[in-house]
Amino acid sequence: MIETTITRERTITLTVNGVSYKATVEPRMLLVDLIRDELELTGTHIGCVTGKCGACTILLNGVSVKSCLVFAVQADGADIVTIEGIAAGGKLHPIQEAFKENHALQCGYCTPGMVISAYQLLRRNPDPTDEEIKKGISGNLCRCTGYINIVKAIKDAAKRMKGGK
Amino acid sequence: MAKKWVGTDVRRKQDARLLTGKGTYVDDVKLPGMLYCTVLRSPYPHAKIRNVDVSEAVKLPGVVAAITGEDAKEYPLPAVIDLAPFGQRTVTGYAFPIAVDKVRYVGEPVAAVAATDRYVAEDALDLIKVEYEPLPPVVDVEKAMEKDSPLLYEEWGDNIHLRWTPTMGEVDKAFEDADRVIRERLYEHRYSGFPIEARCVLANYNSADGKMDVWTSTQAPFQARMFIARTLKLPEQNVRVIVPDVGGGFGNKLNWSADVVPCLLSTLTGRPVKWTENRRESLMASPHSRDYIYDVQVACKNDGTILGVKLQMIADTGVEGSNRGAAVATLLVAGGYALGPYKINNLSLDQIGVVTNKSFYCAYRGYGKDMGNRVLERMINIMSRELGIPPEEIRMKNYIQPDEYPYRQTTGVLYDSGNLPEITRRALKRVDYENLKKEKARLREEGKYIGIGMAAKVEPAGAAVPLSIFNGFEGASVKITPEGGITVATSLVDIGQGVETTLAQVVADEFGVTPDDVRVIEGDTDMTPIGAGPFSSRGAVWTVSCVVSACRKLKAKLLKVGANLLGVKAEEVDIEDGKVYVKQSPDKFMTFRDIGRAAYFWPGPYAAFPADLLPEDASLEVTTYWTSPSPPTSWVPPACLYTTHPTSFEVAVVEVDPETGKVKVNKYVCVHDCGTLINPMIVEAQVHGGTLQGIGGMLYEELRYDENGQLLTTTYMDYLIPTAMEIPEMEVEHFESPSPFTPLGTKGMGEGPAIASPAAVVNAVEDALGVTIRRTPLTPERVLELIKEAKEKGSI
Repeated sequence: MIETTITRERTITLTVNGVSYKATVEPRMLLVDLIRDELELTGTHIGCVTGKCGACTILLNGVSVKSCLVFAVQADGADIVTIEGIAAGGKLHPIQEAFKENHALQCGYCTPGMVISAYQLLRRNPDPTDEEIKKGISGNLCRCTGYINIVKAIKDAAKRMKGGK
Repeated sequence: MAKKWVGTDVRRKQDARLLTGKGTYVDDVKLPGMLYCTVLRSPYPHAKIRNVDVSEAVKLPGVVAAITGEDAKEYPLPAVIDLAPFGQRTVTGYAFPIAVDKVRYVGEPVAAVAATDRYVAEDALDLIKVEYEPLPPVVDVEKAMEKDSPLLYEEWGDNIHLRWTPTMGEVDKAFEDADRVIRERLYEHRYSGFPIEARCVLANYNSADGKMDVWTSTQAPFQARMFIARTLKLPEQNVRVIVPDVGGGFGNKLNWSADVVPCLLSTLTGRPVKWTENRRESLMASPHSRDYIYDVQVACKNDGTILGVKLQMIADTGVEGSNRGAAVATLLVAGGYALGPYKINNLSLDQIGVVTNKSFYCAYRGYGKDMGNRVLERMINIMSRELGIPPEEIRMKNYIQPDEYPYRQTTGVLYDSGNLPEITRRALKRVDYENLKKEKARLREEGKYIGIGMAAKVEPAGAAVPLSIFNGFEGASVKITPEGGITVATSLVDIGQGVETTLAQVVADEFGVTPDDVRVIEGDTDMTPIGAGPFSSRGAVWTVSCVVSACRKLKAKLLKVGANLLGVKAEEVDIEDGKVYVKQSPDKFMTFRDIGRAAYFWPGPYAAFPADLLPEDASLEVTTYWTSPSPPTSWVPPACLYTTHPTSFEVAVVEVDPETGKVKVNKYVCVHDCGTLINPMIVEAQVHGGTLQGIGGMLYEELRYDENGQLLTTTYMDYLIPTAMEIPEMEVEHFESPSPFTPLGTKGMGEGPAIASPAAVVNAVEDALGVTIRRTPLTPERVLELIKEAKEKGSI
């Protein structure tokens, strides 16, 4: 008989998009599964679970992380922002506007992670060059767009955000 | 009506949803009482199954059911393509949703579990005991064809899945008349699409009424419905397939053997069951593609005129390409289009599909079109060096001329329209070819190795493959609602190509409204007419044409009803801005809302409809079907396969690092002709994405099996999809040769950019090094070998 599961559960508290949650989770539960299955914020996607594709990128305490590489228990006490929390008051964020305007998405599956990475990049570097943008999103795979319009959109977003927003 | 929306860069209707996390992909759907399915997969490429014991697994708290080949053996997978008349062997009776008696590839399902929690379902797999008796694996496709090779399907007596050997024209005479014959044996490796959203299925069987709802990430809802119903022996009308947002397809989501497993578990448990494919499963057990050998002989004159081609093409179809996937016919398409945009009167083919112990063969952005394209686009580059004639001159000499369309190719296929000489000139001008060659020579002096590679392309777009799920028909239903809204329903699913927007553009122009006035209904077999779905770049061919036809029929009806309500004759009215108005006095009009309200409710049909529409035709909707007007010479392939033929001329500029063997594509220019453009912004972005897939395929991506049949590339760490760091500077120019076979002159185009880009990239590396490239991918290791060869030969 094999002992199969670590059955002990932990209770954690965290803030996601400004809302406080309390959750009881197995220590092995991935943060992305907590976000998607327990909190039912399904905008964060799963593409590989090996930290390569970036579809599950979120902001954890203000830093972009791949939420498939973090256990939920590691996020105890954390402040998290997911794609659902990027736009304020029902309006698109300038990054989202720029993505739409520059046709920087096709199937949309990588898009939430891509927007979060762009968000992080532009906060650190409000005026990035093309090369800096490419590097900034190199942890996010997109199979549809060839990235050309994503780079264009992020450049455009930088301009829009400097326009006083 | 004047075109107002077609041809413009309308921003996409679906973007706000997808950008804010409000999209719905299958994995986002949850149902009450839902169970999670996981699949135990074979670690052996080829083995007999002696026993599968799930008794411990079902004891694990949370596990509700576990199934094995014993449960699946009554459900053999039906053929999705049956080309027996063309020499295809059947695997029906050998292929099951879960392996029965024998496994034939690493990753083949041997058992499946349904549990209340996905983590528990994963744990349960560790408790299943399987006894295997390993058999010698068939890995190398050339060895698989040898007489003493182990066999995948013993009854066949060999490993040949399909062999097709037609001859067209007078091939022997062409070879006698030739100044020389240039022959090469070229090997292309195994790679595929792997969209970032892997496959995902949620099945919900209602045991009370026998109905099955299936949410699945697929490109073809109606074929999914047929496949699931046929396999599980359910009445087809009781199966409903729902396709929400799809996270990429690329041909990889035209297969449903995996869908059957959660469906089967749902019928057994009476509960909803969801299966979400993980990336490892996706790489080892979802559709594989490419992986073929060409043995090509080109008979030519010393001036570059091509007289004839003898081609043998061998495809490694893995475990099979007819039941789990439908790609054994890629060999027919590849043969039918091997002559590309060139006037060549003589061709002999020997197209061989061979089974091996690898994952199954299915479509990937090309479906043999890529294979066909590679034959001459690669050979012309090789001929160019042998004949001392620039590759663009050889192409110019052999092109079909613009005034020769519609052109019946030697293989029987009918090209609709195009202008290769012009797009070639434009591409070479855009890349500044003369200066580029000088720059290349100058950089060579500095020790830099620049290469210029070109490829021309005819993309057969809009399939109608007989005897298969890729057949030629499409339905559309257009309705005016009682409040005057417009809905259009088709089988076309938005998989990223933006049809939610482009179909609305088309309808908007037909009725003189805006795309926002049009709701595009898709992805539900209960809601749309039967149709074949998005694949083979068929949306702009089949669906758009069918929608236009439905709109025009509905418009004729609206004119009659509007005229009747306005008290004038139908000839006296017209439609614009969502109104039927009297031509002589435009202030007399009825809006679509006025007409809708009148026809349905106030006062109702007998007041609103003219006598000739009463009583049977008193509706504000039209459902119609469209099939291709491109006249086939015969119903058999390749003569009647495709309706439209977009073209392109593409130039890649690469730099090869002589120290590391790294290849970088610096610049990529594509002059593209897909007939009438519906949304140039979307077309251009399709070119970006498809081109990077072609570059990735040639430089980074490989499904590599070792000699024991183990797949070595089972994560995105090993299977390298290009990142933003690998993109070239890219320029796309549109050129429009409208198709005479579609009402708007539109042609398909989605697959095209992945078809010619591989040849352009390889040709560019050949140009940089001056040696013939016979194997891909062009990994640094392989390129270093080529550099060594080039140095020994003195070509660099």
